[in-house]
Amino acid sequence: MNLESAPTPTSVAPVRAVLEGRGLTKSFWVKQGRSLLARKTRVHAVEDVSVRLDAGRVTALVGESGAGKTTVARLLAKIIRADAGELFLDGRPAPPGRPRSYAAQVQMVFQDPFASLNPVHRVGHNLVRPLQIHHIADGDIDATVADLLRRVALKPPDTFIGKFPHELSGGQRQRVAIARGLAVRPRVLIADEPVSMLDVSIRLGVLNLLADLRDREKLAILYVTHDIASARYLADTIVVMYAGQLVEAAPSVSLTDRPAHPYTQLLLAAAPDPDRVEAPALAGRGAPPSLLAPPSGCRFHPRCPYVMEICKSQVPPRVAVAADHSAACWLHVDPNNRRITVNGSVAPARDSSDQRNQER
Amino acid sequence: MTINSTSLTVIPPVAGPTPELVLRRTRILRLPRSPKVIAGLVILVLFGLLAIIGRWIAPYSPNATDQQHWVQHVLVPGTGAATGFPASYYPLPLPPSAAHWLGTTVFAQDVWSQLLAATQATVVVGLLAAAIATVLSVLFGVTAGYLGGGADEGLSLIANVFLAIPGLPLLIVLADYVPSAGSSVVLVASIIAVTTWAYTSRTLRAQTLSLRNRDFVEASRVMGEGRLRIILVEVLPNLVPIVAASFLFTALSAIGAYVAIAFLGLAGSPTSSPPGLWNWGEMLREGFANNAVRGGWWWWWAPPGLCIALLGTGLALLNFGIDEFINPRLRTAGLSRKTARKAGIGTRPKLGMTPVAHHPPVAVASVRTVAEASRLRDTAEPVLEIRGLSVDYGYDEEAVHAVVDCDLVLRRGQVLGLAGESGSGKTTLALAAIRLLRAPALISAGQVLFHSKPISGDGPAGTIDMLSATDDQLRAIRWSEIAVVLQSSLNALNPVITIGAQFDDLLRVHRPALAESARWARSGALLDMVGMNADRLRSYPHELSGGMRQRAMIAMAIALEPQVMILDEPTTALDVVTQREILQELIGLRDRIGFATLFITHDLSLLVELADEIAVMYAGRLMERAPATSLFHAPRLPYTYALLHCFPPMHGPRVPMEGLKGSPPDMRDLPPGCAFHPRCQWALPRCRQEVPRLAPLNGSPREVACWLHREGTTVPPELAQPEPASMRPRRPETVGQAGGT
Repeated sequence: MNLESAPTPTSVAPVRAVLEGRGLTKSFWVKQGRSLLARKTRVHAVEDVSVRLDAGRVTALVGESGAGKTTVARLLAKIIRADAGELFLDGRPAPPGRPRSYAAQVQMVFQDPFASLNPVHRVGHNLVRPLQIHHIADGDIDATVADLLRRVALKPPDTFIGKFPHELSGGQRQRVAIARGLAVRPRVLIADEPVSMLDVSIRLGVLNLLADLRDREKLAILYVTHDIASARYLADTIVVMYAGQLVEAAPSVSLTDRPAHPYTQLLLAAAPDPDRVEAPALAGRGAPPSLLAPPSGCRFHPRCPYVMEICKSQVPPRVAVAADHSAACWLHVDPNNRRITVNGSVAPARDSSDQRNQER
Repeated sequence: MTINSTSLTVIPPVAGPTPELVLRRTRILRLPRSPKVIAGLVILVLFGLLAIIGRWIAPYSPNATDQQHWVQHVLVPGTGAATGFPASYYPLPLPPSAAHWLGTTVFAQDVWSQLLAATQATVVVGLLAAAIATVLSVLFGVTAGYLGGGADEGLSLIANVFLAIPGLPLLIVLADYVPSAGSSVVLVASIIAVTTWAYTSRTLRAQTLSLRNRDFVEASRVMGEGRLRIILVEVLPNLVPIVAASFLFTALSAIGAYVAIAFLGLAGSPTSSPPGLWNWGEMLREGFANNAVRGGWWWWWAPPGLCIALLGTGLALLNFGIDEFINPRLRTAGLSRKTARKAGIGTRPKLGMTPVAHHPPVAVASVRTVAEASRLRDTAEPVLEIRGLSVDYGYDEEAVHAVVDCDLVLRRGQVLGLAGESGSGKTTLALAAIRLLRAPALISAGQVLFHSKPISGDGPAGTIDMLSATDDQLRAIRWSEIAVVLQSSLNALNPVITIGAQFDDLLRVHRPALAESARWARSGALLDMVGMNADRLRSYPHELSGGMRQRAMIAMAIALEPQVMILDEPTTALDVVTQREILQELIGLRDRIGFATLFITHDLSLLVELADEIAVMYAGRLMERAPATSLFHAPRLPYTYALLHCFPPMHGPRVPMEGLKGSPPDMRDLPPGCAFHPRCQWALPRCRQEVPRLAPLNGSPREVACWLHREGTTVPPELAQPEPASMRPRRPETVGQAGGT
């Protein structure tokens, strides 16, 4: 595993986008109230999100709960259908519906390994089925299954094939789930919070496994997480979502070291960090907005410490603040009243306590 | 969120290894081997046997009359010569004899033969009807549940129509409409099945609906699995217990229905043409019609009646067994109480009172004297002292030792962090100390002292022994002096009354002197302290976000100005920004009110920022205790060292990290010696045999339970880093930026 070699400038070798979602939009309809005639209202879960997964790269999707991360993951896996936007597989539009040819390319690992493995089936069943469905393994299914288990470091494989999920620990279950995803030899692996249900001590093992798969098998991986520290550790690119929209995207180190969007700055300030000397000041307290009636303009503007008039009315465009680093924020756009600082980050201007008092 | 340690309370494994071959079947429906189930099975098998071999062991044909003995008649009272009415006679059935084991009917038919024939028909009709109904309900219910949408609406409508039609009247109409039905088992069974399938279908539909969106079904879909296979292979096996339970239930009601229509005379008489079938209902009907009860001819009506009751009991007992299988909690309570009694431990099942073993507490070697303990640390006054505390789940040989011999001292104004993986016993330790765990948790040894010095209110003062305290004493302490906020606390608010009303209840009970307006003002002030607008008092819990509800819970916890706050993963379910905000509020409150905090979390990186002192638990034992900064910069325990290297840093170059090898320990089967040795990179031979005890490291106010730090061993350089410059625990005023308040 080599973490440092991956995020090199794109000019060295053209990176191939294996799976790309452009302008993905998804709303859900929920009933307000209990009566028969209750009106259905729209939850704007994901709006105009474009993500690109490259071969041999891990892209992390970071955000709070309700930000729409999982919805994007499920859109990419074609578990749900987008209201608008397109999916491109190898630059060509993805086939409609959910054909097996798509399943053979794009696989998903779910958050809860205690729920994603059927309790009545053995580990073997979980790995044999994908091989049978997609006619892989050419007869020697046992050897392929054993090889899969070895690839996810469940050794020796023979001891695991016959086991039921309840006989495995959380980390082992998640490895089985990953092996199941790998069985069809996909080129894209979508991992939805793969470690958040696991014990701290075994999280790194699973993350390292994903890094290993990226490096050795050139998998394109989408790593959905709320833990920005693990995203920094694993991912080559981090994409930050807030209230259903994309707010910032950059190579992971440059995003965590020089966050450009005020929300990313808030997220980083709030993350636990034992190296921190003083308690962090949080600029932008409060909670994410309701997606039933999201704020106009930039959805972060009610919390934003640097809010301007234009933020309240107009959706900010995505602008490049550095090479490979884009943010959707008016602070980085309008040259008339705001200057963009050299490194792309915004100097904190106001005392955070003002903001808090206003909020009360 | 990680899996909670309370999963430990799950029943201990069934003794003895299960052979691999039968595992598959037993996994799907492993009935508990309780006397109930065995009795049910015995009854069912008995009736099954009778139904099968009945026709061969029956001594007579059920319709045949015993002409030879059918001579006895009895004069009907009020008739005969003296009365002027022509004499009329009751036929008299024969009592049980060698020729007729169960006697005869008035028509001199053999009751035993009739009973055998009737058993066959009744059991077959019951099982067949249940089978047909189950197939129908699975077809309709599972299809509707899995497909959803229009298919669901259509199929559910059909089921609902059948559900709305009253079963027995429909049955009577149908049975009456098809007069020949009584002669055919299949027809009777079908008629009964048609009237009973809908109820089960609803249940199965609901279950399928919830299964359909489960991750493993979704995973199969992502895999490209076909719809039929998903239903048959992924969904249906998970429904087996429910299908089995509903099969038994339907069999029971089908037998009831068959007996009922036969008793009403609607199943066709066995002597008419076409002949109906002998069944228990028919036997009862004939008996009742011919004065069997008034005549005292018990051998005629009692056997079919008993059969109905017995078979019903058998089916119900089996159903209980399946219920317990579906919901194991039904079983654990009873089982553990029994073992507890056997073990001689009095455990009244009482909410919120952890039982304490009544045999004299074991003198624990490592219990230090107070003098010794205070020499170890700085002199802040202790408020909660836990000494040598051990907690078991279950009793005797089935006991799981969740907490073993733990010493912990919480001092006034201090934030003491308790870190460990899930299942390491950290929650058990804290909750047992204030005796909030329920049986089968049992405090098997130790002592917990609460040095109370109420900040406000009229709570008890002085030292209280928590383990010998009475209900009343504990009630006076809990919440007002020791408050608890759990990860799930945000769901502990009453959903049907406003936040304000809940504050009001609390203050009215504990601060009776306050007037209503003062209570309201105080509630508003409390919300303000946790960063919520006082207007929120008028809100219902469901109108607040998770973070807001957890804040409201914290406000309630501090409402009575407790001396100790026990926070068990209070922010784990919340987002990072909310978590940070709440933690800042908490530290500010701590500075203002001065409570001591026991902060339990698996997130060591958070604790390092927050706590003054950190205790690390592994497999139920305290393994290291040190001021937060020294623990972070100079860990002495291999486990702490490894755990600290499980959190990727937020700064600097990215370097590969190894994390921890192996899996968290199985509390039911701990390795000998130090429980961490299988995952320890520096394990010594001694670690595999002897359990290390927590002991002070020379010359420092910290303790570690590790053989590497004992005489005669070389400490690896990673575990011998110099202590950081500032060894003092951070003082409250420097810890919390009080969040602007």
